[in-house]
Amino acid sequence: MATEAVNGAPPVVEMRAISKRFGTVSALEGVDFAVRRGEVCALLGDNGAGKSTLIKILTGIFPATSGEIRINGAVVNIRSPAQARALGIETVYQDLALVNLMSVTRNFFLGREVTTGVGPLRFMRLGEMNTRTEEALHDIGIEKFSTGRSVTEPVAKLSGGERQSIAIGRAVHFGASLLILDEPTSALSVGETEKVLHYTVRAKERGMAVIFISHNLHHVSKVADRYTIIRHGRKVGDYPGGSLTESDLGAMITGEREQ
Amino acid sequence: MHGVVHTGEVHTEMRALTATTQTPPPVAHNRPRAAILRSPAFGPGVTLVVLFILFAIVVPNFFTLRSIAGIVNAATLTGIIAIGVTQLMIAGEFDLSVGPVMAMSGFVFGFYMMNGGGPWLAIPLALAICALMGLINGFIVVKAQMPSFIVTLGTAFIFTGLVWAYSGGQVLQITESPPAFAWLNGRLATLADLYAGANFRSSIVWWLGLVAIFQFVLVRTRFGNHIFAVGGNRDSAAAQGVPVVRTKLLAFMWSSVLAGVAGILLFAQFKTVRIATGTGEELKAIAAAVVGGTLLTGGYGSIIGALFGVLLISMLRTGVVLLDIIAADNFDAIVGVTIVAAAILNNVIRNRA
Repeated sequence: MATEAVNGAPPVVEMRAISKRFGTVSALEGVDFAVRRGEVCALLGDNGAGKSTLIKILTGIFPATSGEIRINGAVVNIRSPAQARALGIETVYQDLALVNLMSVTRNFFLGREVTTGVGPLRFMRLGEMNTRTEEALHDIGIEKFSTGRSVTEPVAKLSGGERQSIAIGRAVHFGASLLILDEPTSALSVGETEKVLHYTVRAKERGMAVIFISHNLHHVSKVADRYTIIRHGRKVGDYPGGSLTESDLGAMITGEREQ
Repeated sequence: MHGVVHTGEVHTEMRALTATTQTPPPVAHNRPRAAILRSPAFGPGVTLVVLFILFAIVVPNFFTLRSIAGIVNAATLTGIIAIGVTQLMIAGEFDLSVGPVMAMSGFVFGFYMMNGGGPWLAIPLALAICALMGLINGFIVVKAQMPSFIVTLGTAFIFTGLVWAYSGGQVLQITESPPAFAWLNGRLATLADLYAGANFRSSIVWWLGLVAIFQFVLVRTRFGNHIFAVGGNRDSAAAQGVPVVRTKLLAFMWSSVLAGVAGILLFAQFKTVRIATGTGEELKAIAAAVVGGTLLTGGYGSIIGALFGVLLISMLRTGVVLLDIIAADNFDAIVGVTIVAAAILNNVIRNRA
């Protein structure tokens, strides 16, 4: 298993004693959280428990009031989403991932276009970008574009699950070390959900650390290697995947059960 | 891949779905037919050709070089403005201030030509002032985060005031014809001598050249890609590291600079400019963009489509006037019908493509 091979290495991301206060309201209190290479960590908690706050601190949307973040063992100060990206943290949001009117290829390479030429006379190598997009999607197991559909088609023509999959494929291809999936399967059909969960596992197999945020415990239990449960801004605990049933998890999220 | 295929810890449900990695089979992603059908310019192009054939059959004197040259000459300046307005609309913004920018350019260009500045001073100076006006538009829109529709409605009046101040409220008119006027927007005499009635002007060369350049820039360059991205989904674009502010500022500047080019060509042709020059051009350009398949909501459109749109409107005018079914001064009503019909038609075509 991938995690055993790198057991000695520090976690990809490690958050220590993170606290966040908004005025007098305390959103997070001393939360420790870590994800290793090749591991899917499900971050669980009810609405308002502090999941989003923790992720927003990690992605540079706002800073923690106190606490420390380490990426691959080194202390970092994440001040902006751009900086989080530069550190290899890639987030896939439910609706924000792609530009619907643009093609699969153009979305895949958006902001990282492959160009040739000098100075102001630079143009995109669309052929190469198309080929690389097909290869990358094939690589993560998205077969659709090698069997018929074209990567030059607009993303709007694709289903929600396919769009999520492309966004995941993009993060994997461009070498992100931490992938954050924020409710990736809400609003998807059963078949679509299976695909997104499959690509999540593929991303993990390729050595990424994955944070999986979802309300759907059934989906979570299919992919998670570990659960981190947060309640009222405090960490309830870390539990290995398979050690708890879905109803156990539900009870711990709502606070019906403590351990 | 890291060269290792993991088989151990894949969840049972996943195993069936996990595909082995191999070289993908070659795919024909460059299917030209599909690409043409998907182009925003496809619908307007078909409409243009169909209407042209229809008019050529039913309208007397329509299918002549003279009338075709008339259609094109009447379309050129709006066509050049429409290039800038279209790329800005694709970037998700409007520019209602192109009219006074065009007038300002005409005044600056005319003034320096009259005072012995020569075209190599007058043209860059006029365009630089236009670029500055575009920068002002863009700066207010992105910094104040206001809708460009309102901002440029306001700056249109402000710019008219600047034109007033610069011109002293006077009409600028010159009688001499510097050689630059010939290559800027003179009659293409050789062509007219060869073919009777082929009264094209050199501005058609500028127009087609600019259409080609901007179409290429939009589809083939990083800047063009970013134009589509910021207009299609600003937040997604920003999340992928697209420089949203810089892209929008440049789009606003190009819109003004192209209006400035139209102002220079106008002065080179008529040797006169007034404060009211360019009035109504903003709506004509938006109409051409929409008829040409560009979405009002941004993120989708084409420069070639805008070219078709301008030609379509100009052709309808000529056709309707030649048919004598409506008073020549009243043809705007027909243009209105076209705009609404074209918008509906493009929507239908886009949903089927």
